[in-house]
Amino acid sequence: MARTSMVYRGIAIMGLGALAACQGEVDEAQSEAASRVAVLPPIEVAEGDGLPDELPAGLVWETNDTDPTFASPDAKRGGTFRTSMLSFPLTIRRVGPDSNGSFAGPLRYNQLGPVTYHPNTRRPIPSLATHWAYGPDGRSLYYRLNPKARWSDGVPVTADDYIFAVKFMRSKQIVAPWYNNYYTERIRDVKRYDDHTIGIQGADPKPLHEMHYQYAFGPVPKHFHEPRMTEDWVQATNWEIEPNTGPYQISKVDKGKTIEMSRKADWWANDERYLRHRFNPDKIRYRVIRELNVAYQHFVKGELDTFGLVLPLYWHEKARGPEYDAGYIAKYWFYNDLPVPSAGMYLNTENPILADARVRFGLAHAMNFDRVIETVLRGDYDRMPTFQLGFGDYDNRLITVREFDIDKANAYFDDAGYSERGGDGIRVRDGQRLSLRVTYGAPHHTERLVILREEARKAGVELELQLLDGSSSFKTMQEKKHEIAWMSWASQGLSPRYWEHFHSANAGKPQTNNLANHANPEMDDLIMSFRASSDLEERIALAHRLEQMVHDAGVVIPTFQVPYTREGAWRWVKLPEWLGTRTTGALFNPHRLSAGIFSSGGLFWIDEAEKERTLEAMDEGMAFEPLAVMNIDYRAD
Amino acid sequence: MIAKAGSLVGRTRSVLDRVAPATRLNPLTIKQWQRFKSIRRGYWSAIGLGIALLLSAGAELLVNSRALVVSYQGDWYFPTYGDYIPGRTFGLDYDYETNYRELKRMFSASSAGDWVLMPPVPYDAFENDLEAGVYPPYAPSVASRHFLGTDTTGRDVVARLVYGFRLAFTFAAILLGCNFVIGIAIGCAMGFWGGAFDLLFQRVIEILNNVPFLYVIMIVASVIVPGFWTLMAVMVFFGWTGMTWYMRTSTYKEKSREYVLAARALGASSKRQVASHIIPNTISVIVTFIPFSIASGITALTAIDYLGFGLPPPTPSWGELLSQGTRHLESPWIGGSVVVAMVLVLLMVTYVGEAVREAFDPKQFTYYE
Repeated sequence: MARTSMVYRGIAIMGLGALAACQGEVDEAQSEAASRVAVLPPIEVAEGDGLPDELPAGLVWETNDTDPTFASPDAKRGGTFRTSMLSFPLTIRRVGPDSNGSFAGPLRYNQLGPVTYHPNTRRPIPSLATHWAYGPDGRSLYYRLNPKARWSDGVPVTADDYIFAVKFMRSKQIVAPWYNNYYTERIRDVKRYDDHTIGIQGADPKPLHEMHYQYAFGPVPKHFHEPRMTEDWVQATNWEIEPNTGPYQISKVDKGKTIEMSRKADWWANDERYLRHRFNPDKIRYRVIRELNVAYQHFVKGELDTFGLVLPLYWHEKARGPEYDAGYIAKYWFYNDLPVPSAGMYLNTENPILADARVRFGLAHAMNFDRVIETVLRGDYDRMPTFQLGFGDYDNRLITVREFDIDKANAYFDDAGYSERGGDGIRVRDGQRLSLRVTYGAPHHTERLVILREEARKAGVELELQLLDGSSSFKTMQEKKHEIAWMSWASQGLSPRYWEHFHSANAGKPQTNNLANHANPEMDDLIMSFRASSDLEERIALAHRLEQMVHDAGVVIPTFQVPYTREGAWRWVKLPEWLGTRTTGALFNPHRLSAGIFSSGGLFWIDEAEKERTLEAMDEGMAFEPLAVMNIDYRAD
Repeated sequence: MIAKAGSLVGRTRSVLDRVAPATRLNPLTIKQWQRFKSIRRGYWSAIGLGIALLLSAGAELLVNSRALVVSYQGDWYFPTYGDYIPGRTFGLDYDYETNYRELKRMFSASSAGDWVLMPPVPYDAFENDLEAGVYPPYAPSVASRHFLGTDTTGRDVVARLVYGFRLAFTFAAILLGCNFVIGIAIGCAMGFWGGAFDLLFQRVIEILNNVPFLYVIMIVASVIVPGFWTLMAVMVFFGWTGMTWYMRTSTYKEKSREYVLAARALGASSKRQVASHIIPNTISVIVTFIPFSIASGITALTAIDYLGFGLPPPTPSWGELLSQGTRHLESPWIGGSVVVAMVLVLLMVTYVGEAVREAFDPKQFTYYE
């Protein structure tokens, strides 16, 4: 509400000025007010919060210059990487109205944070900071910024930019309630100790190695924004190119058509251990192509360098033809090991039928996921073995799925008292049919569910499909009105989460994520120790036990996972021998952080000589060996 | 007795005469029927539609995964209607419904003399006939008896079409019934009583007509799963208004005619005036609208199914098939089948409608001299 009213007020002011010049005085007064630069108030610190005025004694400064590098030394700098976007951004501001659109990624990835995580070892690595330390209160972080760090206009990055960042993010001028709230509620204090040493205090204690993910944030260029902090900051900075700290900066904006970013030749971090040999193209050209299929046609013509081919239709049907057969376009299938969305059937244990664990087990054994995978999913998906997956050592790999087995399902259902079958073959107990409603929100999942439904009938259980639109299906689940919720939770971060999904504090009441309404005092204790513990070994052991308990309770039937990326690229776009890292989400993303934290992007390069050779070969009709690469280094099994 | 030898109407009438003399068809009706019959396109369409309806009513005997007859160890089984027969009955090792196609293969491979008679299309509208390693949709094939191929989950297109047709037609017919009963009742009342009642309902109908019907369906579908009867309720709620205007004007017109005045003078109650005098004389209006209402009922259901707001999956439905067809243009048998079927049915219904309208057109009998 506040956001829209501010925007409208801004527009109204501009409009008045243009249309009614004779009302001069009023307008001038207004626009003067709008253009008056505000002095941002000092950072307020709530009672009980606050960092010490001096650096605490006994801080242990850590860094990481020993983990293996993951970029290829063969990488060549140069060339233009041509890619597309589905729509033109409404602004190139970093925050504020409309800033969360299609171009937010490329902008944000070029605003570095103090640390990122190693894409293979998952340990913190330096980014804008060289060293870090953890405060004794368990919720504060101290960083030493790299003195070499520069904004793109050459101004050094200092602690003042951090102080300013919090003032800026808390200010009303940016019209960004989410940021206002986050930098007040989650980030409690920030302090400058010298030009390059800062402290950040978060809201709650967190495990040490996760604190960067939870509380670290990037600086905001004070010298750029301070003179612009007027009432109409939002309008004034819509198309202003803000200084950044990453490898690329916007060099050309052709509104509605293209945005070009250029590599900084003298980027301050060119020779940093984990950033060398990366971000290789000189230019990245984002072109607006409003339809995916049209973009694909541009790709096949050679007007775009790469294209994502994860969707079965593209990989199997469209990505075929002379360009592929002649080896001009390469197809990559790369398995990664990222946090996997928790896709599953969440069984509401408040339902009288599903309250019986034997029914839940029987149901799991009656679901023929393999048949769905082999047929409509074209063998492309894998079965998800556990509730949460893709968190490295946290994963419990000892759990195996309850496989499709009618005999086992029959035995469980018989045992639960559903031993009679009605005239339609569905089991009955005391007049109650073994019929369960599956609530889901994705129309294209219907074809998966109809197969499960037909197969489940063999075990005498009926699935009644309830397709709702996306938001109301989620609403139904949040209100716990579902019997079986067919859905998927996004996964991010470094470790799995159990409290929101399985703690009894969230059971039996609406608007929580405990969709199974699962409540188990023993599990509650474990979850609380898991949350409180900051010892990695202990946390891993607890996560394994918790995952096992989830499996033993049978309240979630995990469904599918897509543990890979599939992409097509013209022959001249080169990748390291190892293609990507453990956590690479997209092979040809020029700057991406995967899962929000892993520094995995920008490993590819454009080989100009190869490009010439390929174009010549195409003119002469010469063919190369077809290029189809599959990498299973990080495949789980 | 006016019965003409060889005339269907005549025979029907003579039968009716004997059973219930009161239902004697009046000469006008006979004229209308003859007129209808003489419009060949409409007449044959009516016959075609009748056959299609009859066949779809008995679809279980023609398109079904259950066998028509199984002869096993000397006993005969008729699984088509009634409870499911578990596989164990026929010596198979499972308790769920027998897979009769496999049973047939098994019996013909063995020499025990058992046999299975399957319907011409041995699939029902729900089962997924899938082969591992080959991805649906499968193309039409006589060998596999998927005469029009399968959809994206391996369900037989013929079965989906036939059962979808039956459902859509039933839906349209019930919808028609409800709309007409409410529409005629209120329309007549408006015309008959006039005044405040008329004014009130005019406004109510105007309001209802201005509510975007599709949005209501979308809103309903987003909150609950619209079943057969919920959809029906929503569509009746907005659909009955159509008939009211016509009935209102006809009633106004008929009400001032001499025969109604005469009836009133003789002391006939309002109910009697409307039911026995006015409605029978506006029947041509009603009858003319029937076929077109059926057509619009079928298209409406197909359209909302196509958009995904209709009957819940996996109900066989033309709209759902059509949306699969548009998403899988590389499998033209899906979209092609449903488009052809739909065009045929709607053409036939429309031809019937045209013929009915023409047959009932009073101008036919007006001559200017």
